[in-house]
Amino acid sequence: MFKSKEGRKELINSIIAILIAILFLFPIYWLVQISFKSDSETFGKILTYFPHEFTVEPWLVNLTDPTFLMSLRNSFINGFLTMGIALLMGVPAAYGMGRFKVRGSHVFLLTFLVAQMLPASLTLTPMYLIFNKLNILGTHFTAPIAIAAASIPFAVVTLRPYFKSVPKALDEAARLDGCGALKSFLFVMIPAVKTGIITIVVISFLNGWNDLIYSMTFNVSAEMRPLTANIYKFQNAYGTKWNCIMAYGTILVIPVVLLFIFLQKYIVGGLVAGAVKD
Amino acid sequence: MKSKKALSGGTKDGYIFILPAFFYMLLVLGYPLVYNLVLSFKNVDVKNFTKGGSVFVGLENYIHLFNDDTFLLVLRNTFIFTIACLVFQFTIGFAFAMFFNQKFKVSGPIRGMILVSYMMPMSVTGLLGKNIFANDGLVNDLLSKIGINGPEWLVTGATALIAVIIMNCWVGIPFNMLLLMSGLTSVSQDVYESASIDGANWVEKFVFITLPLMKGSIMAVLMLGFIYTFRAFDLMYIMTAGGPLNATDVLGTYSYVRSFTQFEFSEGSAIAMVLFACLFVIGLFYLRLLAKEDD
Repeated sequence: MFKSKEGRKELINSIIAILIAILFLFPIYWLVQISFKSDSETFGKILTYFPHEFTVEPWLVNLTDPTFLMSLRNSFINGFLTMGIALLMGVPAAYGMGRFKVRGSHVFLLTFLVAQMLPASLTLTPMYLIFNKLNILGTHFTAPIAIAAASIPFAVVTLRPYFKSVPKALDEAARLDGCGALKSFLFVMIPAVKTGIITIVVISFLNGWNDLIYSMTFNVSAEMRPLTANIYKFQNAYGTKWNCIMAYGTILVIPVVLLFIFLQKYIVGGLVAGAVKD
Repeated sequence: MKSKKALSGGTKDGYIFILPAFFYMLLVLGYPLVYNLVLSFKNVDVKNFTKGGSVFVGLENYIHLFNDDTFLLVLRNTFIFTIACLVFQFTIGFAFAMFFNQKFKVSGPIRGMILVSYMMPMSVTGLLGKNIFANDGLVNDLLSKIGINGPEWLVTGATALIAVIIMNCWVGIPFNMLLLMSGLTSVSQDVYESASIDGANWVEKFVFITLPLMKGSIMAVLMLGFIYTFRAFDLMYIMTAGGPLNATDVLGTYSYVRSFTQFEFSEGSAIAMVLFACLFVIGLFYLRLLAKEDD
């Protein structure tokens, strides 16, 4: 009797959960289904809830367009460069703050926490003027340099507790084997916090991939802009061809979904740690 | 003795690891922040930003802003948008967190799937919003099925703001759920059990156990939510471009338009400073909360 009551509760909860998922994720289904509609169906008087004339034409329109492919490449460059800077700067800083008693560590931590809260609008104009003076506007580096300023604090705040929790015996042993601080950092500590590093890799890549404001401000020419920053350009080109626009949007969402499918547990844990600190 | 000392080595080594990132932050955020403040007291615009020759004008930009009806509307929009989003995404996020905190098989995977809306590019969310809330879009089609003649969402100001708020909540709900769940898991189940024995119903348990024990997480989520929502940009920029007639313009978009569409750099900077001032107040409370938790 007791057992069946538990079983019923499990069943009811599961049904509710699936209903929530269907409702909540319906906009994403909507995005994808429009991308497989023919032009005539898109412009049709009646709104259809699934493609009656299924076609991959809208995808081909995007994937055969040189500007689209260029933008796609730029999106990847944005993601990987941001990730690179975040790892290079953020991981050592997290290590330094998690494993060493340094004077002023409160100041450092405060700096990173405050940096996480700063809005892009605040530093955008000065950065634009500075980059303009340095004559590096319209290069691949400008946007990632700015985006990483948010990814680095995230890396520090997220990874610091990981480094803290590594048993002391581990790097003491490395010390006895004659490892210097750098060597033990690279070969002992980093492998020990692998989980946290994967979180940083994923989130900083997505920071770069998702960016709009920096990428469109620092890159004037469409050839240099990533997909996010070229949305307006393609919207103008496609007009009300929503099937093409939605194929464009779907392609932008694919990496996010893939990363979620394969690395969900790293992302979820990291997001919590990065947002609420320890 | 040894535990008092550094974990991995000398203090100096620690600085070597921390300082590059610290200087990076100073250079890429600190310097522009000061620059922005200075800019907001000058008159840099399209005429003098390359040639130079701008001068200090004191508080002129700020005085001008607070006498500008459009700016005051934008300021109001930003607060309405932020508070409305906070109320709905927190309430629904909390309900989701409580629901998914129960142990049942599909709880984990579905919770994870819901997070996709939070992690996907905000610009795509904007595209979606534009499509769904179009006059003959999904929302109005669904409304017509239950006999309601939907409004022209993105054409009238009030409904456009509602549409933007709904899209932003779609992103904010998973974020709230995620953070509140981590708070919920730290509440011990024993407390609920002993309350059940004492005959407490679920409302009493929620009000007298869950809420007080979750106070820290709740405050953190609300403050972080404020900080992230108040600085919104991408969503409006793509979905409505701030329109119709500034009805969905917020400080983030308005500052951008002033600086990079109208090339009034100094005024754009002043708007960004107002945005920063609001975040700073909430940020201070948030940092104090973190410091308290640290002790």
